[in-house]
Amino acid sequence: MSSKDVREYRLSIDFPCSKKSLLRARCKTLEFARKHGFSQEADDIALAAEEALKNVLQHACPADNKMHLEMSAKGDVLMVEVSDTGRGFDLEAYECAPHSPYDLCGRGIQIMRGLMDKVSIVSDADGTVVKMEKRRKTKKEDIRKQASG
Amino acid sequence: MEILVEEKEGYHTVTPVGEVDIYTVPLFRKVILKVEGDLKRGVILDLSRMSFVDSSGIGAIIETYQKITSKNCVIVFVLDNPRILKIFKLVGLDRVFKIFPNLGQALQSIGVSRGYIDEEFFSETT
Repeated sequence: MSSKDVREYRLSIDFPCSKKSLLRARCKTLEFARKHGFSQEADDIALAAEEALKNVLQHACPADNKMHLEMSAKGDVLMVEVSDTGRGFDLEAYECAPHSPYDLCGRGIQIMRGLMDKVSIVSDADGTVVKMEKRRKTKKEDIRKQASG
Repeated sequence: MEILVEEKEGYHTVTPVGEVDIYTVPLFRKVILKVEGDLKRGVILDLSRMSFVDSSGIGAIIETYQKITSKNCVIVFVLDNPRILKIFKLVGLDRVFKIFPNLGQALQSIGVSRGYIDEEFFSETT
């Protein structure tokens, strides 16, 4: 897909809350990102999506046992949205809690934020919506990034 | 995923091959538990053949670090995959782990004599 292409492409999938779904979601995300011109960054996008879905699986316990993945690509921007109707979580408490490299869990959000350009999380008693955005780098930016190590 | 384990001069080299994630962490933990029971001087966790890691895998690696160091043993890491190194940096592990770009340097850092040949080294499959 060329960056001059301004059409919007969408993919929307409901997965049952299971470990198996994570692998399927990773494959679908990778495929979608690669199809829309993301190469090395496609792996980052797939991992970020999987981390968001893993949080649903491990913490949200939605009554409908479903997690929703939506991806869209427009121009050089790819959006990933993961949502559920589970019990939500206290984002403020998460932000305020001290985090150490030695923590055994609680790294999903950290990884999402590190890999994606923008991450927004809205969570309440009706569920959680995680929106992430990644912009495709130009060849020039890629070369500059590689040069800076 | 498969995990290769070899012992030399009291050090176990543990090499996960493939993906270390929510699916494979139980096997990883099982192997580490076995190594822990037989622990002498330390562990070299060779992650150079790990193709993918998620937060569950990271958690299991940190758990291994804590188990080994709590027994006053040494643990060093081999990692040269830039994509996985990036994830280690994101979560701050590059600041707390001793990471070497290849097995030779890791062995040298803990004073294990050379002479490892990859084919021989990765001989035991668990």
